[in-house]
Amino acid sequence: MLKSKKWRFATLAILPSLLIFGYVRMFPIMETLRLSVHRWDILSKRKPFIGLENFRELFQDQLFLDALVNTTIIAFGVLFVTIPTALVISALIYHRTRSRFAGFYETSVFIPHIVSLVPAAMAWKWIFDAKLGPLNALLEFVGIPSQAWLFDPILSVVSIIILVSWQALGYAVLIFLVGFKNLPISLFEAAKLDGASGIQRFTFISVPLLKPITLYVSVVTLISGFNVYAQVFVLASDSQGAPGRQVRVLVLDMLENAFRNYRVGYAASEAVILLVIVLSLTLIQFGLLREKGKK
Amino acid sequence: MQYLKRKTKTVSACLASTIIFGATSAFAQSITVWSGYPEMAPFYEHVAASMKADFPNLEVSVEAIALREHEKRIALGLTSGAGGAKVIELGQSTAARYLENDLLSAAPADVAIFVTDPNNFGEFFVNGASSDGTVYGVPLFRGQGALFYNVDMFDAAGLSGPPSTMAEFTDYAVKLTQRDANGEPTVSGWSLRLSGGGAGISEKFWINVFQYGGSVLEESSDGKWRANYANEAGRQALKQYLQNVHVLKTVTQEMPADAEAFERGQTAMFIRESWVISDIAAKAPDLNYATAPLPVGSIGIPTNLYVSEASGADADASWAFAKAANDPENLIWMLKNVGWLPNRANVNYAEVTDQVAGFAGFLDYPADYKFFGLPAIGPIDEVLTRLAARLTKAFIDESLAKDDDAIDTFLAEAAAETDKILGREGLLAK
Repeated sequence: MLKSKKWRFATLAILPSLLIFGYVRMFPIMETLRLSVHRWDILSKRKPFIGLENFRELFQDQLFLDALVNTTIIAFGVLFVTIPTALVISALIYHRTRSRFAGFYETSVFIPHIVSLVPAAMAWKWIFDAKLGPLNALLEFVGIPSQAWLFDPILSVVSIIILVSWQALGYAVLIFLVGFKNLPISLFEAAKLDGASGIQRFTFISVPLLKPITLYVSVVTLISGFNVYAQVFVLASDSQGAPGRQVRVLVLDMLENAFRNYRVGYAASEAVILLVIVLSLTLIQFGLLREKGKK
Repeated sequence: MQYLKRKTKTVSACLASTIIFGATSAFAQSITVWSGYPEMAPFYEHVAASMKADFPNLEVSVEAIALREHEKRIALGLTSGAGGAKVIELGQSTAARYLENDLLSAAPADVAIFVTDPNNFGEFFVNGASSDGTVYGVPLFRGQGALFYNVDMFDAAGLSGPPSTMAEFTDYAVKLTQRDANGEPTVSGWSLRLSGGGAGISEKFWINVFQYGGSVLEESSDGKWRANYANEAGRQALKQYLQNVHVLKTVTQEMPADAEAFERGQTAMFIRESWVISDIAAKAPDLNYATAPLPVGSIGIPTNLYVSEASGADADASWAFAKAANDPENLIWMLKNVGWLPNRANVNYAEVTDQVAGFAGFLDYPADYKFFGLPAIGPIDEVLTRLAARLTKAFIDESLAKDDDAIDTFLAEAAAETDKILGREGLLAK
């Protein structure tokens, strides 16, 4: 009886949160799934059911395929740049925890994460500028010819990876630092007594023990990498004066299809594909890192 | 008794203030102006100020943002029933979808009479503001292209006037390009729209194709459409881009482009709309430049003012605002301070055009000068955006520059995509 009452109270207590969660989280996802099998131009009251037609068309749409390839390269590029770099930087900062500059190190790495995205991207746009940018000035100074960072098809993607990684790094370092601070010191002391070098302690103790943290950070980084949009928009938008090459990414393609081409059903089918990709990759990451963690 | 009198007075005072307050509220109108051109914000504020005498309680909120964001705002705002009366600035071709779905109100009788009066607007603009014979919008301004050229650079290159044929455009570009010791261009001879995103690239390409006798789309006798650039005109236009970029190197994709480059002396000439005149006046007042008509004709994209609500005091005020925007004094103010060309005919603009030589290229054109507009069909933006994505790839493909067959293949594939979009929407001509 008491158990039943407790359950009822618990259910009632959690119900408002569940309702809000359902409305703001689950309903839009279900609605996106529903729209993906309909043709809808956002303006019309008619939404005819067309089955998988949107998906069939998507895989013959060169712009979508370009966006999918670019987004995947950017997401994995950011992941591969951010995770190892963040791990090394956080190890170095942790190593210098007692230094009076420790706070400065942490803050300087974290600042890019909290800086407003648009001004940051504008600053990077200047850095990457082919004619006036300091990056090319530096390259020329060391004897390397200047590059068309925002115009070359490959370099424009590289530029976006650099910018997104620069922003993602602060958060990753912060989370890794929390992980480092929770590692058992006794293990490191024992390894030190056994003659393990700093690099060996980092490689064979820190990295394996930080796997749960690595899993979390890599999932978050990968998901945000697949959702890249604003950086691309600002770095290579069609602003006058110095337009860059527009790197087509999935979110940009979705927005264009929904609000410029008035094809909301088609854009919803892109969103469904993005959802499937991100979910699959997240599950794979969980599987890989957890299995290895158990061993 | 005294108490009752006092109480009566108090109640009367309360009632009177309630009535006065209520009446004031009832007569106050509040409208929002949505614009896709930030430079138009001062104009709409000027119009609002000019209406104060007739509408003392009118509150006008002007929200002018970049065009692409403006289009998204309209798509979301109108369909979700964004509250309050709105005056919406919209290109004729984009408005077509909203009219098809009854999302914009028909103009009241007095506004329709004003718009259809042949003394006020030519047939081209009346048709652009109407659908099936019903007036929905009030014509305001048009985007018309002309050549802007730097007179000092032309003089230095020994060129006495603007190019008059497309072949001359390339010849002039070669002579005007300034290069460094390595032969790399430092000032482009002719700034072409080669990159960025959106439909602008296709619009600029269309302007050039038009000079060769083609178009991106052509209308058939049954009112449907087909691609019209996989032909000689399209090949000539695309080849000219490629020749200038890859063979003659009069311009590169990385070079500063557009109005800002022209104002900074980083390009000798480029094709743009009249708003650049005011932009130059504000940012580079000492620039010695002139404008000229294009060899064959120009794009003319009419922009109209529409109203989102059908009835009520705010809707009435919105239509009054759209009409007031067309008052001669306001139109002259717009031409002088913003630079967009007004569409209304029976207004004497000489006080501005006589003073600013830059308008000559837009107003003094030959009798046989032709104009084209963007078709008022739903998928026009998709057609142009997808073509733009293909063109930006073609512009950086050096292998196309000397290979006419490759150009033809590229154009045929792009045109097939255009026709596919039209076919999907049931608009493809047989």
